[in-house]
Amino acid sequence: MEQMLVNGVVLAVNYALIALGITLIFSIMNILNFAHGQMFMIGGFVVYYLYGLFKVNYFLSLIAVVLVLGGIGWCFETFFFRRMRKMATREENSMLLAVGTALLLENLALSIFGEKQRGVPPVVSGVFRFGTAYLPAGRLLVMVLAIVLIVGLLLFVQYTKLGRAMRALAQDREVTHLMGVNVDRVAAFGFALGAALAGVAGGLLVTVFGVNSGVGNVYSIKAFIMIMIGGAGVVPGAILGAIVLGFAEAIGYELLPGSITYLLIFTGLIIFLLLRPQGLLGKPWG
Amino acid sequence: MAILDVQGLTKRFGGLTAVNNVSFSVEKGAILSVIGPNGAGKSTLFKLISSFVVPTSGRVNYNELTITGLPPHEVARRGVVRTFQETTIFKEMTALQNVIVAHQLRCRASSFGIYFSSAAARADEERFRESAIEILDYLGLSTVKQMLARNLPHGHLRALGIAVAMAAEPKVLLLDEPFSGMNVEETEAAVRLVRGIRDRGVTIVLVEHDMSAVMRISDKIVVLSFGTKIAEGTPVEVQQNEAVIGAYLGQADEEIGH
Amino acid sequence: MGLDINRLTPRAGNGGTGAATENDRLNRGQKLRFAAFVLILLVAVPILLGRSPYFITVLTNAAILSFISLGVWVTFSIGRMNLAQGAFALVGGYAGAILSTRYGVPFWFCLPLAGLISAVLGALIGWPVLRLKGVYFAMTTLSLTEAIRLLALNGGDLTKGATGIVNIPRPGAIDIFGLTIVHDFNGADPLPFYFLACALLLLGLVGVWRLSTSRLGWVFRSLRQNEDLATSIGINVAKYRVIAFAVCCFMGGIGGAFFAAFHQNIYPATYTISDSVNFMLYCFLGGLSYIFGPVVGAFLLVVAFELLQAVQDYQALIYGILMIACMLWLPNGILSLGLRHDGKGKDGRR
Repeated sequence: MEQMLVNGVVLAVNYALIALGITLIFSIMNILNFAHGQMFMIGGFVVYYLYGLFKVNYFLSLIAVVLVLGGIGWCFETFFFRRMRKMATREENSMLLAVGTALLLENLALSIFGEKQRGVPPVVSGVFRFGTAYLPAGRLLVMVLAIVLIVGLLLFVQYTKLGRAMRALAQDREVTHLMGVNVDRVAAFGFALGAALAGVAGGLLVTVFGVNSGVGNVYSIKAFIMIMIGGAGVVPGAILGAIVLGFAEAIGYELLPGSITYLLIFTGLIIFLLLRPQGLLGKPWG
Repeated sequence: MAILDVQGLTKRFGGLTAVNNVSFSVEKGAILSVIGPNGAGKSTLFKLISSFVVPTSGRVNYNELTITGLPPHEVARRGVVRTFQETTIFKEMTALQNVIVAHQLRCRASSFGIYFSSAAARADEERFRESAIEILDYLGLSTVKQMLARNLPHGHLRALGIAVAMAAEPKVLLLDEPFSGMNVEETEAAVRLVRGIRDRGVTIVLVEHDMSAVMRISDKIVVLSFGTKIAEGTPVEVQQNEAVIGAYLGQADEEIGH
Repeated sequence: MGLDINRLTPRAGNGGTGAATENDRLNRGQKLRFAAFVLILLVAVPILLGRSPYFITVLTNAAILSFISLGVWVTFSIGRMNLAQGAFALVGGYAGAILSTRYGVPFWFCLPLAGLISAVLGALIGWPVLRLKGVYFAMTTLSLTEAIRLLALNGGDLTKGATGIVNIPRPGAIDIFGLTIVHDFNGADPLPFYFLACALLLLGLVGVWRLSTSRLGWVFRSLRQNEDLATSIGINVAKYRVIAFAVCCFMGGIGGAFFAAFHQNIYPATYTISDSVNFMLYCFLGGLSYIFGPVVGAFLLVVAFELLQAVQDYQALIYGILMIACMLWLPNGILSLGLRHDGKGKDGRR
């Protein structure tokens, strides 16, 4: 019982990073980042190479992740999505462009990193006990780091100038532009930040689960499930979705055999969407 | 004889009450206008009547039948058809195609026949086309019938919206701000048009801001303010109603009876 | 000296925007092009490439992949981005496999049955899911591909889990009154499968074209362009959405069953998210406004993929680059390049 809770918390907190990243991008630019899972995966690989192979300090590796994925996100927005917006084509084209970026990253990773599953040594050793539950120190570290990052992100978005600009952009693009905000720059930063969050989540979870170049789509789907449950484009929704998915996974994997867990999660999701298509905290459409 | 009977319609969104216990009835063949200052709940009322929004309480009867709770396409099938703001049109079709599509309710051929182009299906197509041309003629759109809807000038878009609604053979037509954005001549033409439609046997309920047009055209007026009905009567009665004047006091002068 | 407005505005032709002409019949040029296509497919290719099983196989794949993508095209025509076609191809594949291996049903019945099973499942799932639009629909359908894979993985004895179903029998002969209309499909010669694939593709094209030009096609167009307006004129939007989706799944199911018999096996991993994405990509590359779009897209990419054998390792990478390039520089697809400046497009407009 306690093990499930402990696992749930670890997962929920890390998944929240993923959910927040995709929510950020969605709320600011109305783009669903299909490549989010691939960004997560690349984050894991950066840590694998730097920390795992070249023995660079773990925290420095995480910073490298932020730079690499931030750079990728910035490039995507600046070179791809901004162009798309200016072309004013159908909405589907932006979506398909996003799918294209996912394809690109996925296959780039496959070419560069190969197919094998990779792992990294634990960052700290030792195990904590909570009642009957075991919590390896590595997981605790990852959990704490994730929480720190989430809090940092929320504070950033709430209180800094750039954060406020992003929130304004999420609310109304036109008005924000008229207020003199450099919309293109804020958008690019927003995308970079969202991508970096995905990457860091990958860099954190690689110490727990390892990484391989095929997990991209898996984590993209997790991100989708979270925002569909919690409500797309709203920060509390992202966190709520992460909590629900994290615990659903923890409980499911503990009690049920193998892949049945996700089968149930999907079934539950579809039934849930039947009743509440906008998610728990999302705005109703129409 | 009342063709449309609105009874105690209420709609609450969270803490906000958009429409509060509104009741009125519409006589068959009448033109009834719903007016009120901005934010009075007029468009919500429209959506409630046509079943696009589910009321929190209350109901709407159409010819003794309760249409509240029916899905919106069913309400349209029964004869209560609403129009939208002007940008609501099938943009990538021509004006003619827009109106032809709207004849869908009048299909006599079966699905099988439609697919395999049976005689009945072809007869349908012929009928729809002729009817569409007639409707477009009636609304003064015959010169632009081959034009893509998204290229149509504003005034024609409004008329096209009405043409589309008329193709669905409404008994009650809910017109959403039919005169908005029109100058004096256009409004005059539109007033004649609406009267003409009524003369063809269609009961009309309209929501509008343009006071002069409303006063000229309506048999009865219902005034809403902050979601509540504050007056109901003939144009003369409403114009002299103190509550109505009070509700509009904050409005610019041009808006009232120019 | 008046201005005739009808002369000035572009005819609502096939300007890549989905408006068909008044006369929804094909003009002479289009009929000729279609006839040419049929001839190439059924006559030229077998004569020229008949000796090369490799090329025939590639073209067979291309033909069925276009057929499956044509289904996705139908969901596009009601304004939804359908990323679940891989799921329904998988359903069809398993349906065909189970029917033939477990119950001995001949292939010629398996094929339509698999399509029907996929269609029914599609209708059931589609009913709630089609209420979603845009990205929400895309996310959900993407997840569906994964969900069906898990279903296949956990299907117990029916689907045989990860090992999949193997030794699926090839199509047998069709004998009517003692006359052999169709011979047994044997392993060595890929031509029978090729002809079957072409037949399916041509039937699919004609079927979808007819759908698109009939009143039903116009209803679909109205759904795509404005669901609220369609509702206000009495169109049961929910019903028609499901019909379109069911047609899509039907085609996916048939394609899946074909491949199951062609490759003689089916696994949970036979269709992945990548495949769902590819079906969509074919439609986009060819041009969403054109019924021939998925065909052009699929043939082009499948053939190009094979020709890129030399850069095998980077095949998929090039795919990704191509997709992005297509989005940025050819948003209306390849067929839109064929537009003459009078607005008339190539055959098979929407």
